Amino acid sequence: MSAGHAVVGTGTAQRERHAVVGTGARRSDAAPKVTGGARYTADVRLPGMLHAKVLRSPHAHARVVSVDARRARALDGVHAVLTRDDLGGLSPTYGYFIKDQPVVAIDRVRYVGDVVAAVAAVDERVALRALELIDVVYEPLPAVPDIDAALAADAPELFEDAPPGIVPPYGTGASGRLRPRRNVCYEFRYETGPEDAWAECDHVFEDTFVFSRMNHFHLEPFVTVADVRGEQIEIWTSTQNPFPLRRELARVLQVEENRIRVHVPYVGGGFGAKHNCKTEPIAILLSRLAGRPVRYCLTTEEGFLTLSQHSAVLTVRTGVRADGTFVARDSTVLLEAGAYSDGSPLVAEKAAYRMPGPYRWKRVESSCACVMTTTTPTGPFRGFGATQSTWASESQVDMIARRLGMDPYDLRMKNLKALGEPFVPGESGIDSDLAEGLEVVAGALGYHARPRTPNRGMGLAIGFKDGGGVNKPAQARVKVSTAGDVYVSCGTVEIGQGASTTLCQVAAEVLGVPLRRVVYAPINTDVTPFDQGTNASSGMTVMGQAVLRAAEAVRAQVLEFAAERLGCTAAELTLRDWAVRRGDEVTPLPGLITAVFGGTGFEFSGSGFFKAPNSREAPLDAPCVFWEIGWAGAEVEVDPDTGKVTVLQLVASGDVGKAVNTLVCRGQDEGAAVMGLGQALFEEMRFDDGVLLNGEALDYRVPMAEDLPERFVSITQEQGHGPGPFGAKGAGEGAMVPVAAAIANAVHDATGARISTLPLSPERVFDALQTR
Amino acid sequence: MSDPITIEFGLDGERRRERIAPNTVLLDLLRDRCGRLGVKASCERGVCGACTTLIDGVPVASCGVFAFSVDGSSVETVEGRGRADDLGPVQRAFAECGGFQCGYCTPGMVMLTTALLREHVEPDDELIRSWISSNICRCTGYQMIIDSVRRAAELVREERG
Ligand code: FES
Ligand code: FES
Repeated sequence: MSAGHAVVGTGTAQRERHAVVGTGARRSDAAPKVTGGARYTADVRLPGMLHAKVLRSPHAHARVVSVDARRARALDGVHAVLTRDDLGGLSPTYGYFIKDQPVVAIDRVRYVGDVVAAVAAVDERVALRALELIDVVYEPLPAVPDIDAALAADAPELFEDAPPGIVPPYGTGASGRLRPRRNVCYEFRYETGPEDAWAECDHVFEDTFVFSRMNHFHLEPFVTVADVRGEQIEIWTSTQNPFPLRRELARVLQVEENRIRVHVPYVGGGFGAKHNCKTEPIAILLSRLAGRPVRYCLTTEEGFLTLSQHSAVLTVRTGVRADGTFVARDSTVLLEAGAYSDGSPLVAEKAAYRMPGPYRWKRVESSCACVMTTTTPTGPFRGFGATQSTWASESQVDMIARRLGMDPYDLRMKNLKALGEPFVPGESGIDSDLAEGLEVVAGALGYHARPRTPNRGMGLAIGFKDGGGVNKPAQARVKVSTAGDVYVSCGTVEIGQGASTTLCQVAAEVLGVPLRRVVYAPINTDVTPFDQGTNASSGMTVMGQAVLRAAEAVRAQVLEFAAERLGCTAAELTLRDWAVRRGDEVTPLPGLITAVFGGTGFEFSGSGFFKAPNSREAPLDAPCVFWEIGWAGAEVEVDPDTGKVTVLQLVASGDVGKAVNTLVCRGQDEGAAVMGLGQALFEEMRFDDGVLLNGEALDYRVPMAEDLPERFVSITQEQGHGPGPFGAKGAGEGAMVPVAAAIANAVHDATGARISTLPLSPERVFDALQTR
Repeated sequence: MSDPITIEFGLDGERRRERIAPNTVLLDLLRDRCGRLGVKASCERGVCGACTTLIDGVPVASCGVFAFSVDGSSVETVEGRGRADDLGPVQRAFAECGGFQCGYCTPGMVMLTTALLREHVEPDDELIRSWISSNICRCTGYQMIIDSVRRAAELVREERG
């Protein structure tokens, strides 16, 4: 077993020296996290707090005839029961684009686990006992267990009436439609280039790929503590997007936004799951009914019933010239949305949009439909559609290479976009040298000199996604006390990614103070500046720019102030260690400040704002902030007798432009790569006729340390072309995205068998070996 | 429900006496009664290891044992391993090597490592990997945890002279 990590710099970023940025500084959250002192929502305790549990549907699809909670209400220790009869005055459904998910079931249940009623009691045991006393009469309806069943001509319609929904504005070539056909809640389409490009193709290859569904498996469960006092609603919640959540809650509850105060303590992992309404509405409504604080914490099993990744069927038709030049690609993606839309329409946009991958085309057509089934709702998951699209795209690239008798590496090199070339018309240019990154990984893997040993092979893949989110505004505030103690306040949630460290590093660098002088303020939506959410790997490229600007604004104020006192211009001064320097003359700031503001001192405070400008030319309404590229290479050995795939080597690499913190970047890439490894080899929510078979920690297998490949190498590339502070790009998703395809490509290289369905379980590989 | 029982045990070096319902789970006793919120609750099925504590030196998933079973034993949690301003060697190693991200698995990993290093002063990577394989970390991809354990072994050896 061996492992390694390297930082590889090629661009200008690597050569510039910074004091705080670019180091492997110890994370600011290290001490609380290693001592057990870090407080998560799951740890929040309020006096008089009650505990909530919910009753879940045993049916995949049924009409709810009656819900009678009288016996539950009468049980000793029960303080509140919430059923559909308690939704008066609310707008009781939620969702991102489509408001289709009820707080508790109204007329129907649509999957096993759908929430029917909720109880708040003195403890969870009493709450669970009360649930047994709720009498529900169901009238079962036919289930819609999977995509095929949902699209069948005679399939039952999951929503008879259209739930309220919107289609956001799109730019050139892109369009969206609500309910284009039965059981499809949303469809996104994109096209560009002349249709007659297909006529230039010497070959057209059509292949279909199946992508399996993972659970996020964040270790901190979905959890909210709500305290409703009169009109004031205060929650502590494990969320990734406190501000959009606040807005959605205000709409559901029909109250003013400023009545809702959202606190976000440390979040114990989310990976996309913890967006918008999850445990929040029920906790609030129960607290309102009971007049006491309520804690609503899901079990791991309930987490499996709350949200998952999208399974998908992807059909890709690719036209190429005889020499391997890519010409046209037409992709049809079906995402399984489960019972409610959640973030599915947004994931559909991205899955379709990213189907061309990092290659040059004359013609691109893509569509993606969100298909509703009677299974756990699906939503954002690390990779956000890119994992699905890359699985299909990068698998097919290898298949095409082999059909043309080319090495897959050469076929990629021939067709990759150049640095700076726009992804599609109206888009920003690709800000990574794709070929350079591929060579870094191929070199580290030993791809070019790979020995031809039976049942052993190597594969490569390039993960590709637009990063930074669409239309994402971010605001930040930086303030400095008289003594030079700095606060960074913004809405980026510390979810494990290290943003509370790296954003402080940005401020520290600008203000010339050591990192330990900078504190990351806790999030409280009453006082924290607005942010759209901790997602899309946007922490450094979007919020980082807001923090950078806020810190620069503070620095400018400080220098102006000092210049006035010293009778010079701000341009003559530099700021270092909370003193201003003019040539050799060093003037500490605290004395200057108290001389003006008195002994009680002052705070300098600056705001920063960032948003990528909108553009009608850009298909998604604003050009992509940065391109998140992940390269992966794998070497595998396949046991021909069992079909077992052993990953001998995994090399994963992201281009972060410039690593603000090398330790943090490495952690993001390695965590992402191992999640991809699980997806490739074994991790999967298994359904039988729509019923989840392995919805618990023991049966659902996530990667453990013993699953690490014999050789695991991560490489943080610093190519220096990023738009973020100091040339940084985002990280966190890129290195997951290509892993499954790299491993499948390696299996193909080893055995000549192509597995187009994930995960690459021994049974599946064995079967493929028999039919190769 | 049966009558409460009284148990006595050592908790991070202090004597505790608690009157508890016989079906109280150790994890709940530690978190809800003893204020040890550093002991994390996740799967509560004995699978993930977030709740790992040492009972008489042996790492145990505290969600999987009844509290009465620690009567007469010594229980160690992450909160006894050091303070924010005075980290223990294992904690220092995890901080230095970045062996955590969201931190939810970290208290369990720190306790697992503490137990490992009491038994084996110089564990090789194979041994580290097999010990760590009893706990789930969803964030790090494990390599930086393995690095942290290796570094912790060095620090512990230094400390012992
Ligand atoms: S919480 Fe105890 S093992 Fe998961
Ligand atoms: S750091 Fe998040 S689970 Fe390990």
